[in-house]
Amino acid sequence: MSKSKIQESKNRKIKVLVSKVGLDGHERGAKVVCNLLKEAGMEVVYLGLYQMPKDVIDAAIDEDADVIGPSFLSGEHLVYTPLIVEEMKKAGLDDVLLVVGGVIPPEDIPTLKKMGVDEVFSAGSLTERIVTYIRNNVRR
Amino acid sequence: MSDINVEEWAQKVRENDRRAAAKLISAIERKEKIARAVLKHIYVPVGKVVVLGVTGSAGAGKSCLVSCLISALRKKGKTVGVIAVDPSSPFTGGAFLGDRLRMQVHGRDKGVYIRSMASRGYLGGLARSTVDAMHVMEAMGHDVVIVETVGTGQDEIDVARLVQTCILILTPTMGDDIQAMKAGIMEVAQIAVLNKADMPGKEKAILDLEVALRMRPVTEDGWAVPVVPTIATTGKGISEVVDRIEEHQAHIRKDDGLKKFAFQKAEKEGSVLIKDEIERVIFDHIRGTGLRRRYLDMIVAGKIDPYTAAEEVMSLFIKKSKNDA
Amino acid sequence: MKVAEKVEPVIKENEVDWDKCLAAYYEKPKSSLTWSGLDVKEVYTPEDLPPEKYKDVGDPGQYPFTRGIHRNMFRGRYWTRREVIGMGSPQDTHDRSKVLVDEGGSGLNTIADVPYEMGLDADHPWAENEVGLTGVCITNMYDMETMTADIPLDKVSWSLITASTVAAVTMAQYAAVAKKRGYDLKKLRGTVQNDPVHFRYCGFRPACPLDLSVKMGADVMEFCTKEMPLWYYTTINLYDLREQGVTAPQEVAFGFLIARLYIDEMIHRGHKVDDFAQRFAFYVSCHIDIFEEVSKIRAARRIWAKLMKEHYGTQKLSSQQFRFAVHTAGCSLVPQQPLNNIVRIAYQALAAVLGGVQSLHCCSYDEPVCLPTENGHTQALRTQQILAYETGVTNVADPLGGSYYIEKLTDKLEKEIYKVMEEVENMGGMAEAIRSEWLDRIFEKEALSRQKELDNRDKILVGVNMFTTEQETTTPLGVQRIAKASVKKQIEMVKKLKKERNQTLWKEKILALKAAAERRENVITYMIEATEAGATTGEMMGAVRLAFGYPYDPIEIIEAPF
Repeated sequence: MSKSKIQESKNRKIKVLVSKVGLDGHERGAKVVCNLLKEAGMEVVYLGLYQMPKDVIDAAIDEDADVIGPSFLSGEHLVYTPLIVEEMKKAGLDDVLLVVGGVIPPEDIPTLKKMGVDEVFSAGSLTERIVTYIRNNVRR
Repeated sequence: MSDINVEEWAQKVRENDRRAAAKLISAIERKEKIARAVLKHIYVPVGKVVVLGVTGSAGAGKSCLVSCLISALRKKGKTVGVIAVDPSSPFTGGAFLGDRLRMQVHGRDKGVYIRSMASRGYLGGLARSTVDAMHVMEAMGHDVVIVETVGTGQDEIDVARLVQTCILILTPTMGDDIQAMKAGIMEVAQIAVLNKADMPGKEKAILDLEVALRMRPVTEDGWAVPVVPTIATTGKGISEVVDRIEEHQAHIRKDDGLKKFAFQKAEKEGSVLIKDEIERVIFDHIRGTGLRRRYLDMIVAGKIDPYTAAEEVMSLFIKKSKNDA
Repeated sequence: MKVAEKVEPVIKENEVDWDKCLAAYYEKPKSSLTWSGLDVKEVYTPEDLPPEKYKDVGDPGQYPFTRGIHRNMFRGRYWTRREVIGMGSPQDTHDRSKVLVDEGGSGLNTIADVPYEMGLDADHPWAENEVGLTGVCITNMYDMETMTADIPLDKVSWSLITASTVAAVTMAQYAAVAKKRGYDLKKLRGTVQNDPVHFRYCGFRPACPLDLSVKMGADVMEFCTKEMPLWYYTTINLYDLREQGVTAPQEVAFGFLIARLYIDEMIHRGHKVDDFAQRFAFYVSCHIDIFEEVSKIRAARRIWAKLMKEHYGTQKLSSQQFRFAVHTAGCSLVPQQPLNNIVRIAYQALAAVLGGVQSLHCCSYDEPVCLPTENGHTQALRTQQILAYETGVTNVADPLGGSYYIEKLTDKLEKEIYKVMEEVENMGGMAEAIRSEWLDRIFEKEALSRQKELDNRDKILVGVNMFTTEQETTTPLGVQRIAKASVKKQIEMVKKLKKERNQTLWKEKILALKAAAERRENVITYMIEATEAGATTGEMMGAVRLAFGYPYDPIEIIEAPF
């Protein structure tokens, strides 16, 4: 799959799907990120709370998302990430960027990347970093 | 999807393949040429599918109402396709597509397909994408298609003209907005819903609405716009809305009403498309020739007036086509 | 003689920028606003504090309690050093609790995990992945017995942090275990958080619909007032509100208005405020602007006292005292350069003590990264101990009282808090603000503003937007992991007990609970009996939910087994 950078324009926007996964209900950060990405010119769908990995992937297909962004704040990232990656593989979404956010110990970042996550943005990340990363790495 | 050929893509969409449909809508949003090609293949004549429009200002409770409508329709065994449009920021071009969140309860129902879109509305008829997306939904085989838009711009009014039954949602606190909305959207709605009907000011709002509706010219088809109070958060009033929708649908389909109705829609959409096409062809023709720039400079310099300029460009185009032919 | 060769200085890479150093020497603060954006003067003088003012302030222990609810504050008793604990299985939580008491903790403080707060049993299909990750899950009497095993309930003050409607279940489970072990409920000391109304904003909306929240909250209050007079039946949670990103005045205003929903319900049920208000308590945040936080607390004390006296007409002093625990602000901590968090927490703990707190939890510095490790937990306790034993701030009640600045800032915060309260009253009151989602929009707006402040460097966070270093790859004291095996054991035990209990007795008690809820009676005693008969959290909450017209399962995945 060619990795040419997307030319954002009036007609081509980056579409991001942000979601909470599992029972965790901390959505302050997820909602803030949605607004910041909107202000950076992206189109953001917020799936909300209590989604299972399959729900996230189904929505990503239905919305033709370029980026999937699950948010974890209760330590459940190691449990749900492999399930998300598996669902993405099953659905053939290898060209979709997978970016994880939330409360993630630095030790777990290499683990998540090995599982298939493209980048991790822990709490306290500055907006600029997230936006620049997505802009430079979206694949489709 | 660009490797796939147009017929296959069209066939997938007709078979209710969501990925194919989602990508087609993306291609439509990006104004890719292939989108037009596929749309040609999948176009469904007006009336085959029930198409509803839901519009109103932000905060009126549109998404909540749509979610209730979906529940009611699903109970009747109907499958539903939804285009949920949210406004793009005029400053940043980005959008927060949050309608889907209000319809979360239907997320796992395979009989409901929700596709969020940003209006990307700057100047001039960019509601084209929404209308094209509506056609995609019609082709997929859903029983009912719902298009939800924010009813404040000209674009949304254009969309409203192209759905079959347009539902306008207002709330009791929108007093002055009703006056402002009079021009445009009020003329287009077939059903007026007063949501959040448990708020103070309900009676006055219903009165204002009825007065405003009576002021609009009587529609040729003799349909009187009903006002239905609802409380979308509890589902109160929804069954009345569904009844009114069914009534309107029956109304436009009775006798040869559907043919007349389809003609009107074809006229609206067809004329716009034909006009767009003419414009596109002409501009394609003069692109790169510097003609447009030359004439604009002449207008600015006072050497020619814009009316004459337009006529000259047109004759030049006709002459050129004759020569090329 | 050879002349020494001139040696050129070697220009190294990473040479110090001396111009920057000079600039730093003359640097002055960019902003002089408080954290919440309040404007303050360069200096305050006696002009700002005329002697008559003291009438409004009062002595510590004297209405309106601006300076503290007791005359001698910490000389009379230190604040309770309670570190919040909750991890893995009830056994794991029990063990860590004992460690912290061993290290000097003076109270127990256990917190529920997400499945428990949601009202799910540990064996619920959605719970299995998340049991024990952020707290402890108590599904049945056996779990509660395990967590409290061999701890003398009459010798400790136990704070049970269940905030949602499930607090009723927690109270019932604790009471059932205490009864079984032969304790007199009337002699037990402790707290249950019990503030379901606010908890919808922490991601527990399905478990905390407004009507059920007010009902369950009041049920616990009623039960404790009658049967457990030493128990604090609520700690109205201002902390979680602050964590959403709102300002200090908003924190207090919204919290007080939520508190009034419960009080009004109790009055509606026929209770006199003076009969129950002594055990009303609050859970407050302490953020990093030390003086603003102290002033916020002083203002809160004054406002609450006036509210209880003037609005509710109470006569007893104990009904007018603003009793509070502090949880240092989790949202002020960051994963970058984590050891810095220890410093932040220390300043916040200082503010809490200068403010006259009754019970304190210090975050562990690894809060933004994981649950506290044992060392992290201990470190947090040490922070409290250094404050208590070394700094001397405990010698005098309200040591900042009388400061021209502090008294003025207290007044300012009082004014701002009243402003916010008025704004909410004008839109129809707190219940309306919740129902219309006005509060949701405020939280979103404030959260976005806080992030923008960071991005624009209007607020500085060391290590995040200033003085940054390479991103960390490890956490200084390691990461606390949950022992999966022990959680698995708990889940298996839950399944086993469900099969082995006396099904007839269980069914009888569960249906009795449901019927009581349908008759809109107080459900706690029915919950105690049901717990004793082996009923679980999910079953009991489900029974009440059904009685109120809600689906049995808040996530709507499973059906009622009765």
